[in-house]
Amino acid sequence: MLLTVFVYVSILAFIGLSLYKAYQYAKMPMHGRWELYPVPKEPGGKGHYGGSYYEDLEWWNKPREVSHAGEIIDMLKEMLFIKNLFINQRRQWWLSYALHLGIYLLGLWTVLLAVGAITELSGLTLSTPEGVSNNAWASLVYYATFISGGAGALLLGFGSLSLFLKRCFNNTFAKYTTPQEYFNLFFLFAVVASGMVVWSADPGFNYGREIMKALFTFSPIQADTALTIHILLLGAVMIYIPQTKMSHYVGKYFAFHKVLWDNEPNLRNSKMESIVKEAISYKPKASWSAPHINPAAQQEKK
Amino acid sequence: MGDIRPQDISKPSEQLVKVENLMPLPAPYDKPGMEPDFKEIKDSWKEDYCASLDGFVGNEALVRPKTKEEEEALVKGFLRGLEKLFSDETNRNYLQPFLLSFEYCAKCNTCSEACHVFKASGEQEIYRPIFRSEVLRKIAKKHFNGDSFWSKFTGGDIDINAETILRLGELAYRCNLCRRCAQTCPLGLDNGLLAREIRKLFSMELGIAPKPLHEKGTMLQLKTGSSTGITKDAFLDMIEFLEEDIYERTGKKYKIPVDKKGADILLTHNAGEYMAWPENPAAFVILFEEAGLDWTLSSDMIGYDNVNYGLFYDDAQTRKIGLAQLKAAKELGVRRIVVGECGHAHKAAMVSIDRAMVGEDNIPRESFLPLLADLIKKGVYKLDPSRNDFPVTMHDPCNVARMMGVIQPQRDIIKAVAPQFREMYPHGAKNFCCGGGSGFAIMKSFNFPEFRNKISSRMKFKQILEAFQGVMEEDIPKYVAAPCSNCKGAIRDILEYYQATAKFNVHYGGLVELVVNAMVQFDRPFLEFLDEEEFVAKHVKK
Ligand code: SF4
Ligand code: SF4
Repeated sequence: MLLTVFVYVSILAFIGLSLYKAYQYAKMPMHGRWELYPVPKEPGGKGHYGGSYYEDLEWWNKPREVSHAGEIIDMLKEMLFIKNLFINQRRQWWLSYALHLGIYLLGLWTVLLAVGAITELSGLTLSTPEGVSNNAWASLVYYATFISGGAGALLLGFGSLSLFLKRCFNNTFAKYTTPQEYFNLFFLFAVVASGMVVWSADPGFNYGREIMKALFTFSPIQADTALTIHILLLGAVMIYIPQTKMSHYVGKYFAFHKVLWDNEPNLRNSKMESIVKEAISYKPKASWSAPHINPAAQQEKK
Repeated sequence: MGDIRPQDISKPSEQLVKVENLMPLPAPYDKPGMEPDFKEIKDSWKEDYCASLDGFVGNEALVRPKTKEEEEALVKGFLRGLEKLFSDETNRNYLQPFLLSFEYCAKCNTCSEACHVFKASGEQEIYRPIFRSEVLRKIAKKHFNGDSFWSKFTGGDIDINAETILRLGELAYRCNLCRRCAQTCPLGLDNGLLAREIRKLFSMELGIAPKPLHEKGTMLQLKTGSSTGITKDAFLDMIEFLEEDIYERTGKKYKIPVDKKGADILLTHNAGEYMAWPENPAAFVILFEEAGLDWTLSSDMIGYDNVNYGLFYDDAQTRKIGLAQLKAAKELGVRRIVVGECGHAHKAAMVSIDRAMVGEDNIPRESFLPLLADLIKKGVYKLDPSRNDFPVTMHDPCNVARMMGVIQPQRDIIKAVAPQFREMYPHGAKNFCCGGGSGFAIMKSFNFPEFRNKISSRMKFKQILEAFQGVMEEDIPKYVAAPCSNCKGAIRDILEYYQATAKFNVHYGGLVELVVNAMVQFDRPFLEFLDEEEFVAKHVKK
């Protein structure tokens, strides 16, 4: 039963800590503008060549146009394909994308395990020792789980190991890699490797559905040593990720949306104006000490 | 020291790196002897300043401590400032972008290829965009976590001593803050921002910033009204001279409107233009008067100088100057401010201080580029592009293009007046910095200009040479248009340093001069280098 509780805790920790991280960034004070073009939400061709509303004569008198579609498309390209890396550093992209695609596929696999578990709990068995069920839905779920789980594990395993090795043997990368960054990649690899050991004994991922069932019914997870180790590692990595820079799924959102693509002008009587009004009325409780900012601080030091 | 790592910055040595094997330049600069070598550095500089990074001294306010106590005070002050970068009381304006770039770097190295300083230097490790950022990370990790296991585990393996701080203080001035690297980062992070945060820490906590930016820059501007030191009276005299100059050049008398209350437009210039390139404000006078615009200049304190060097190193100074400029406009009662040919002034006035005021103080500000493009499109001027019938290329100022998204209007303008216009590659939002960005153009102490001419401006010079391939060695005038005062300064210096004007007839100047040069109403070229009779006979006096 302890394992069941642990899995619950790790899932909640992952979600909770990630949200907390997002909350911390979201509640930071309004920052000065620091946009960088191209800003994909600029409408028409501007989003592509890097133009903005400042190209229009008396821009403040024109209705503000924003292409949400442009922004979403660019965001999806970045999220799903890591576009910037693909364009600017193709070799690294192959390795990094393998790792990320592996994670996405394993996310899909987790959902499919849950779907499979619900299917089985409602009485339709996906597979028996004789083979996969003849029911179309059951076999669809079974094979989709098999493919996403298998491909995801292989890609994540390849990605994490190759990135780890590249960081060891490519001098430029090695110089900037901290022990923690090696550890992170190794940790991901260890989770996948332990999973592969379990998977090799049960290629259909039936064990995964059993775990899901245990979670849904809040009953003990039946696990041998290998599975126990895998579950412990997986849970630990989920608790660990949001506390490290591997939580860049949060950071990236803010870096693009709230910094590089935030070119909302402070127009009179706009919503932005009221945000600015509030921000500039704040009186900071501390200050810098250089003479041109705080002559008093200099006197104190003397 | 061969294979440098970020933590090596703290290890005492006479000079951390010696820059050699620079990026090769294209023809005709691919032959030996075409460019001057680096000069030997003076011993006295080494003793008094920080020459121990790369042998260049850019920051004359960064004085080497002479005693143990001074060293300790420097380190202590730096660390105090470091804490302030992480505080939402003291770094309110940049906390979020700063923490994102500080925390999330994946060390994927994608940004290195984008950096002109790194590439032009022959890939010197210390100029790699993440080198400086990583030094800052290491110092912060070490400072906040001490010598603990966690500190070392997360990269806090650096010694924080006076040498570390001095070298980092110089290294913050080896980045043009052009933010080209940030365009390529898969995580949207910004090493330019981190370089600026380091500059900020030095300036706002320790009062250390290069003199041309601080003491003779923002401080002088706040005191006298302009970083050039031009006072109101001197300004008014200069306007008179300018009227005479224009008359001499064009044969037409123009009255320059100054302090015209309630005018539609307050036009602002980088005051350096009046001294170094008066033909630029002169061209604006001609263009605005010929179009019949209701405009004025301001002679009010700070109203006649749109520079804001605070942008490069200090948030407090940026704000003070930006707000003072708006106040001058408000007092004149103008409807809008139009910013002339100065890139950083564009960004300072329109973007950087955009969230610093509300209501009546928030006077609309725009670039001269859409205004001029519109006037040309409407056919307000009679233009004969054949008067500019020589190869022309154009530089996009980073602050105008990459940081404000103004890219098309300057192309509409130049294509209307320059039949032999050719782009540099890359251009627009993906342009390379001129090498003078973030204050480098005006930092002239010690051997810093060598760093600029040979390293930070090298990529721009390469682009200029490539744009003129095929005609470079022909004895026809060639023109680099740079609609920005600082970029123009940097380009002037490279053309001089590499003797490109003397040897290959390459000239430079603003964009408006090119437009006035194409105006058929004048029977002399506006661009002085065209005064040669042959050109005039062929193109002007038809
Ligand atoms: S591209 Fe971004 S994540 Fe990669 S090394 Fe540069 S700053 Fe770091
Ligand atoms: S901001 Fe520009 S100069 Fe600075 S590191 Fe990035 S690319 Fe290089």
